[in-house]
Amino acid sequence: MIKYSVELENITKRFGQVVAVNNVSLRIKENEFFSLLGPSGCGKTTTLRIIAGLEKPDTGVVKLHGQDVTYIPTHKRNIGMVFQHLALFPHMDVYENIAFGLRMRGFSDNDISRRVKRMLEVVRLPGFERRKINQLSGGQQQRVALARALVMEPEVLLLDEPLGALDLKIRQEMMVELKRIQREVGTTFVYVTHDQNEAMVMSDRIAVMNEGVIQQVDSPDTIYMRPKNIFVASFIGEQINFIEGVYKGNQEFEAKGGMVLRVSDNPDAINKKSVIAIRPERIMIGDKAPPRGMNSVEGRVEMMVFKGSSIEYRISANISDEIIVFVPNISPTMKMYKIGEKVYLTWDPEAGIVLPFESKPAEPRKIG
Amino acid sequence: MSKSDVILKIYTILLLGIIYVPIGVLIVFSFNNSRNRAVFTGFTLENYYRLLADERVWSSFYNSIWVAIVVTIASVFFAILLSYAVTRYDFKGKDILDMLLLIPIIIPEIVEALTLLLFFIIIGIPLSPWTIIIGHIAFDISFAYLVIKARMAGYDPQYEEAARTLGADELKTFFRVTLPILLPGIIAASLIAFVESYDDFIKSYFTRPGGFSTLPVHIWSMASRRGVTVDLNALATIVVIIAIFFAYIRIKMERWM
Ligand SMILES: Nc1ncnc2c1ncn2[C@@H]1O[C@H](COP(=O)(O)OP(=O)(O)OP(=O)(O)O)[C@@H](O)[C@H]1O
Ligand SMILES: [Mg+2]
Repeated sequence: MIKYSVELENITKRFGQVVAVNNVSLRIKENEFFSLLGPSGCGKTTTLRIIAGLEKPDTGVVKLHGQDVTYIPTHKRNIGMVFQHLALFPHMDVYENIAFGLRMRGFSDNDISRRVKRMLEVVRLPGFERRKINQLSGGQQQRVALARALVMEPEVLLLDEPLGALDLKIRQEMMVELKRIQREVGTTFVYVTHDQNEAMVMSDRIAVMNEGVIQQVDSPDTIYMRPKNIFVASFIGEQINFIEGVYKGNQEFEAKGGMVLRVSDNPDAINKKSVIAIRPERIMIGDKAPPRGMNSVEGRVEMMVFKGSSIEYRISANISDEIIVFVPNISPTMKMYKIGEKVYLTWDPEAGIVLPFESKPAEPRKIG
Repeated sequence: MSKSDVILKIYTILLLGIIYVPIGVLIVFSFNNSRNRAVFTGFTLENYYRLLADERVWSSFYNSIWVAIVVTIASVFFAILLSYAVTRYDFKGKDILDMLLLIPIIIPEIVEALTLLLFFIIIGIPLSPWTIIIGHIAFDISFAYLVIKARMAGYDPQYEEAARTLGADELKTFFRVTLPILLPGIIAASLIAFVESYDDFIKSYFTRPGGFSTLPVHIWSMASRRGVTVDLNALATIVVIIAIFFAYIRIKMERWM
């Protein structure tokens, strides 16, 4: 039987007119690195605060390790939290910050000093005990905040965009560190971020959220390769192409204008207005028509951008005004197409994912 | 050194001179053994002995101190509540309240003192040490409020939430986290409120009952009766030294904050 660290059952939370969290159900496994990913204002922080008990849900149940804690106050839940602005106590040094929770729980001085020392080793800050908080760099403060939460050996560690304030290089370093620390201490991490890169790099599973609703919960590769709807497909990854039409079943998709494309199967979409999503790197480009039986779309180069590791083309065709194609830069002799040139596009049937059509899909806002 | 640097330096020296030379002269002449104010004839502590033997100096000093203490406690207490409300809550009239709290700092004190006196007369409150205290509180709240509000605005309520996630209940959170973080602001506000009250002359003079003097009022009555004497120099020196002492504590506090 799988053990769950955190279970949310039909959680809803309103602030006045705003539904910040809309009927969210989640099950987070023990020792899992789980991310809540979504655009600004989608309700990630509110969900996290509900798990911590800092916010009361209007409806629904919160369980920690199988136990209903919906009405248990924060200080009696066995959780740790790293806040977006860290909230390290400015009137205490590093040692006292980390020791704070242990003191609240009545540990002996010997025990406290032993645990703080060990924790400082885990976060690689040995000897920093007597430093003042304002004498630490951003990355070091981050580590102290982690140590302060982890020293309590919480069953779940909640992290709210903890790397948001750091610059790119330290952020990447801290991502690796977070993953290492999570393995080392073997604690469930619930990580909130709007940065898909952070979520992709660290998570075992990701919940993509939009406007208070969970859109999809899956592993990073599944989220990327098998998005469940238009929102997830466009929020994740750099770019994606959408082509409207009707799914006929039997891996056949009739695009606008009558052209039939071979796609991956989606039994739910048969004979319904649908959209296929294709990643730009899955499309191949050539100056001759591909063999019969393969997807073949004739088009014209409208734009070409050399990006170093790849070349980005924008192609107009009768099935879509703009198809984006990324061609990996694998050889100095590779052919480059010029604006106005006639080209043929092709892709594996499996690269075309059939998604339900939405009349006005939510526009994902990308940040960072 | 460039020309503008030289001008700046001269300007600074002149400015500090205008402020501190008279105080320096005052202090030096408080040790003068001649009754003649203009010539320094020799060093003596005689003036101070005479002063310390004067019972009215002591009683007015004592009045100044206890009035200032009561004023400080009351105005800091109200300032904490007011700044908590203004920084933590949203309510109607918040901006107006904020403005009303700052006005006492800018209106001329003589106007305030006069209106206070009229107010007490109109509603029939007899003048007493408490009317002085009310008058002082009325504008010390503004100073204390300014300082504490600045401290609270920089205070992140997440500190309290962090403490809660670390197992601290409301009471422990308040005493271990909230209060210590706000303490430097509270102490700074107390020092300002104390000095403002202890220094005050105009309001104390207008709203005091007959026969009750604070130190500044006593100095004024000495000066108006006998002119500026060496005794007055000595007394003023003591007042200045106490004020400098408070300024020093305040600077120390700022470093700590
Ligand atoms: N205390 C509150 N009072 C009123 N509205 C709130 C409150 N907290 C959150 N909201 C609203 O609820 C919605 C979700 O907010 P939340 O902070 O959970 O978003 P988020 O996904 O964490 O966004 P971000 O990435 O910007 O931090 C937003 O529309 C926000 O304005
Ligand atoms: Mg947030």
